[in-house]
Amino acid sequence: MKSPWKQRWARLRARLRPPRTLRVTRIGRTYLVVTFGVGLGALNTGNNLLYLLLGLLLSMVVVSGVLSERCIRDLSVRRVGTDAAFAGEPFAFRWAVSRKQGQAFALVLAEADSPLTGVGGVGYLPSGVEHIVRADLVAPRRGPVRLTGVQVTTTWPLGLFAKTRVLPLEGLLLVYPKRGYACMDPGDAERGPVGDAGNPRRNDGSGDVTGLRELAEGEDARRIHWLKSASMGKLLRVEREREERRTWMLSIEPGLEGEALERRCEEVAALAHRLLEEGHEVGLHTAEERLRAGTGAAQERRILRALAWLGFERPGDEEAAA
Amino acid sequence: MTRGSKLRLVLRDVASGCAFASMAVSGQLPLWTLGLYVFSLVAALLGKRLFARRAKLTALLLLGVAAVLAVNVTAGSLNLVVAACAFAGLISAHRLLSAPDPATDGQVHLSGLLMVAGGAALSGELVYGLFLVAFSVMSSVSLALGVVESAVPEGEPIPVRQVLRPLSTGVSFAVAGAVAFFILFPRLNWNMTGPRASPGIGPATTGFSNTVRLGGTGTIKDNPRVVLRATLNPDPGVDALGAYWVGRTYDIFDGLEWTNAGGVRKEREPLLTLRPGGDNLVHQRVELLPAYGGRTLIALETPSRLGNAVANTSTGGRRTFLQELSGGEARFLEPGLSYSYEAYSLPPGGSGDRFRKLPTVEQDALLALPENIDPRVAQTAARVLNGEREPMAAAQKLAAWLQRELSYTLEQAGERDDPLADFLFERKAGHCEHFATALTLMLRTQGIRARLATGFFGGERVNEGYILRAGDAHAWTHVLVPERGFVTVDATPPANRPGQGSKWLQRLLGLYEAIESRWRNSVVDYSFRDQVDVARALVRPPQGSEKNERSQLPPARAWGAALVVGMLVYAGWRLAERLSGRPRPLEATRFVDAVEAVLASAGIVRGDDETLEELHARMSSDGHALAPALAPITRRYLEARFGGRPLRQGEADTLLRALKSAVSDFVRMEAQLRARADAPRARAS
Repeated sequence: MKSPWKQRWARLRARLRPPRTLRVTRIGRTYLVVTFGVGLGALNTGNNLLYLLLGLLLSMVVVSGVLSERCIRDLSVRRVGTDAAFAGEPFAFRWAVSRKQGQAFALVLAEADSPLTGVGGVGYLPSGVEHIVRADLVAPRRGPVRLTGVQVTTTWPLGLFAKTRVLPLEGLLLVYPKRGYACMDPGDAERGPVGDAGNPRRNDGSGDVTGLRELAEGEDARRIHWLKSASMGKLLRVEREREERRTWMLSIEPGLEGEALERRCEEVAALAHRLLEEGHEVGLHTAEERLRAGTGAAQERRILRALAWLGFERPGDEEAAA
Repeated sequence: MTRGSKLRLVLRDVASGCAFASMAVSGQLPLWTLGLYVFSLVAALLGKRLFARRAKLTALLLLGVAAVLAVNVTAGSLNLVVAACAFAGLISAHRLLSAPDPATDGQVHLSGLLMVAGGAALSGELVYGLFLVAFSVMSSVSLALGVVESAVPEGEPIPVRQVLRPLSTGVSFAVAGAVAFFILFPRLNWNMTGPRASPGIGPATTGFSNTVRLGGTGTIKDNPRVVLRATLNPDPGVDALGAYWVGRTYDIFDGLEWTNAGGVRKEREPLLTLRPGGDNLVHQRVELLPAYGGRTLIALETPSRLGNAVANTSTGGRRTFLQELSGGEARFLEPGLSYSYEAYSLPPGGSGDRFRKLPTVEQDALLALPENIDPRVAQTAARVLNGEREPMAAAQKLAAWLQRELSYTLEQAGERDDPLADFLFERKAGHCEHFATALTLMLRTQGIRARLATGFFGGERVNEGYILRAGDAHAWTHVLVPERGFVTVDATPPANRPGQGSKWLQRLLGLYEAIESRWRNSVVDYSFRDQVDVARALVRPPQGSEKNERSQLPPARAWGAALVVGMLVYAGWRLAERLSGRPRPLEATRFVDAVEAVLASAGIVRGDDETLEELHARMSSDGHALAPALAPITRRYLEARFGGRPLRQGEADTLLRALKSAVSDFVRMEAQLRARADAPRARAS
């Protein structure tokens, strides 16, 4: 339980934090300058029409504030997230935004206080409808990104002021290493029988011809060597060497830090991608964990996750990561 | 480009056009700037962005335009404010022809705002107000559509219809707010200037010149523009006044033109007294509108005193002095777009002028005839008068003959060598100047002194006052009657004396004038004094209300005040409701907080999500010494929180005191036990 002092401090901080932030846009700055000039002109000349115009300009500012406030209140946002986020390249990120009553216009959503760049927008949000807002975000670096809230900004109605509200929403986005091309050699494959791979006795592959034998009942007729069968007068099947999957255990040397670690992670990720694409089994060995060799997209995802966490402290509930 | 984008651009362009028109209605912008802007606007509306590919290069054109305007300003042919307004319009035109993008859109809107501000400085017309509202609405919608468009993902439609509803509400509130601001904001201006004025649409129409050329081709008789507005005291209260408003008189006719014999009588006077008055003078507060275009004062026949004149210019209003010329003409010394002044006139029927007061040259001029006057004029006059020598009777006899024998027409094509003879004996048709000239000269041929008078005839009632149109310009005859002075005799047929414009156009313009008059009174001329009156009217009944028949119903201001109070009460109630609706700690919850604090002093801390009941159960199962003391508190808390039996006054303190006592006993006992445990004990060795 929190101490009373901490509770009070948290309450004070929450109270002092502005619920909305307001930024004057470029056109808004000029608008305010013109308004100031019209006000000076009205005071200087006593021209009633300038007073009327000044009143209209000021009223527009007030109405702008009221309409924008109506626009960004009562909003609720849910983070839908992304399938995969790679550092340095845009990835599709989604939020689900809705409001119980009233309607909203020109909402621009972004992740608050995070290194992610990019925004998503929705022009019109009616009440009672959950709208999926899609954005192309870019993460500059690999690793976990703590998400604290979603920033909702609107310049509605006139684009003079940008009013922003941050909806607190905790989350975690795991950014995989930057995608690139693996120039380095993967090294030697693992030797000896390892799981299903590397069994030299298998000869039902599509490689070199290892021999001919009589076709047994129930065997695939496509394996018949018709020329030899015709000469021998019986059905012979071709036996071909099977192209075995090979296994690589990629590793990240311990002690790497900073840019060197980043580069190594990118290389390993690219290498793993290439090998897995070729159908081989790939495992990963780092100072923190060891991944058994495996194949397929799921294995690649496991490797990428391991690489993304490398050098960062994992939370207890890692599954919370997007 | 989507439909929403097209609509946004069209609204942007039309809003810019409205802003430019708000300046153009002042009639002060150079014509070439008007032409350039209209061309740009039409091209933009047709989607022809001619400068789209060469925006920066074509911006050099603006430099050239700026140079031309600067030359005009330095040469004194153009006002600096007008030049600045024209330049703002041309900047907007350039932007209209450039490729539409967010930056260009913003520049178009902001230049529109500058133009509207410039229009406020140049024009006080009602049309300006209409263009201001049109600009505000269209510009706001265009801006809002642009804002929404920027947030809509590419390829998706812009929700135009959904945008319009809240925006229209917002703009309505903004307009209402502007009106409230306008009414309530104190006029703490440093320069208490009067209303602005501008000639309005088209040039001024009714300028008085030094000469009247008979048979000229131009005619203003069908022009319905309002040139004069006046309030009379005492108010005749009739809809059609039918009075003669004199401007100036002429006494020398050379066969083609009327001129004056005399010169300037008084150079510079704030108040002119033309002739002595009496107690029954008719007071007039006259406003010569920009459409008038002259510097001659107009007053009801026959003016006695004129003065307190203010000339309104584009830079404000200032007092102006008057100059008296021969023939009773009074002129403003300062040039202005419009003028306001006061006048006092004698009641109709005679001026009281004494013949002997006239200078000799003017006395002689009243009998002067053109050298080559057609002899038939005198013969005809003699024949019609048939020996009548009394001036007034002779004038009326001749006027009746003219009205009977000749007809009225505005068709005066072509110049005539002898327009009078042509009127009397050839065409036998003419307008008021022909009739007045004929009567004046026919009287002179018979030795009766007379002169030509010009001004206006009529007066149409609008909003407690009377207006005169350009078409009401008129000419008539002043006959010098012994002991009575100059008396008005009008030879023009009565039906043709007022303006000859079409009735529906007059009605339409009358409606416009009525609205424009209210606009001028309520907006353009609104002053600090009016604000004080508004404030006073809220607390005191208006003057003269006691004369009205007392109604059983409360006055309108009471309804207004009740409405305002009602709205305030409603707002307060909503605020209180919102505040009361906030989740606030209940009494029982506060009580449990206090219990928790007391227990904390004994080292007992409630776990996260552990209720007081669970805490008590835990302490009981542990055999804690304080569990019995906590039992009544827990039970009472549950009753108060969920059982509908709130804590009575002081009950919480009683329970807390008991708990504190138990806790202090427990702490003391714990301390004793600890001390006993820590005390050195004998150890067997």
